Amino acid sequence: MPYPPPSRALTGPRRRTLFASAAGAALLVGCSGGSGESRESSAGSPSLAERVRARAARDSVGLVERYDAAIAAHPAAAERLRTLRAEVVRHAEAFGGTIGKSGATTSTSPSPSASPSPSPLSSPSPSPSPSSPATEKDALVELATAERALADRRTAALADVPGELARLLASVAAAGAVHAYLLTEGAR
Amino acid sequence: MSGKADGKASEQRELKALQEALAAEHAAVYGYGVVGGRIREGRRTEARSAYDAHRARRDALTREIRDLGGTPVAAAAAYALPFPVPDSAAAVRLAARLEDRVAGVYADVVRATAGERRRSAAEALREAAVRAVRWSGESVAFPGLAERAATGSASATPTA
Repeated sequence: MPYPPPSRALTGPRRRTLFASAAGAALLVGCSGGSGESRESSAGSPSLAERVRARAARDSVGLVERYDAAIAAHPAAAERLRTLRAEVVRHAEAFGGTIGKSGATTSTSPSPSASPSPSPLSSPSPSPSPSSPATEKDALVELATAERALADRRTAALADVPGELARLLASVAAAGAVHAYLLTEGAR
Repeated sequence: MSGKADGKASEQRELKALQEALAAEHAAVYGYGVVGGRIREGRRTEARSAYDAHRARRDALTREIRDLGGTPVAAAAAYALPFPVPDSAAAVRLAARLEDRVAGVYADVVRATAGERRRSAAEALREAAVRAVRWSGESVAFPGLAERAATGSASATPTA
């Protein structure tokens, strides 16, 4: 039997809302905005935090390049990979990185909103473009391994940085673990 | 010197974040009880192990809060579900929602803590995010960060 609606099952103040979606989201936003930003000095030095952030941006840009190589080499997997790639682009941007602009660590791939037709072979990127393994399965495994290794490195790095950056690193590391899952175990 | 006052304030923030996480874990344990009763046979083991994981986190948080001199928040006698859960598909949706909520509170614990507690919270966030996608089939760019959730979610791929 389904649970009765809240109005029929009141048990006084002990009863709590599991989380009405709108209210829950508002609460989380409230928590997030209220604290943290003003306490960036709570751990680590600004330069360390800046180095960690810059490293995180570079790492995400590098990961985007790996996705581009895999997408170019394995068109059959492209649709699936583009979804994950778009999220990695957002990670790079959240750390202050840019995709598609010139610069030592950026790739020449299109912006996330552009239609994805990367061609790493023609990329004038200063660092060698990553190549993708010959089979689709190997390519996905390699991406998953890269995602997981990066997630582990970020989880280790978040110990030393201020709270707000640590929170972002932890979230992006979690996203990396999710990607690794989707690339391997989550495969159809 | 404001060092002592800062330490006190940061301990209060830490305690508050841990209490929020404990409240969410209480809700998750309750919620997975509902999930377990509705979910189809093929996914029952998965629901069971998630239930066990949340119980373990709940107990660990209870200890941490006591260690900090706090009184752990108690579970509510009952919780209102966010939507009716008459069948397996709804149970899967509820499980995903539970994990999203848990991911959010652990992200806040990461911010409010340091050292081992922060590391543990980051791990809990990661586990919740992976469980969430196992249920929903849908990746999100920033697990646990509601303020970044507005855009960019993948299209749904129901796995129920």
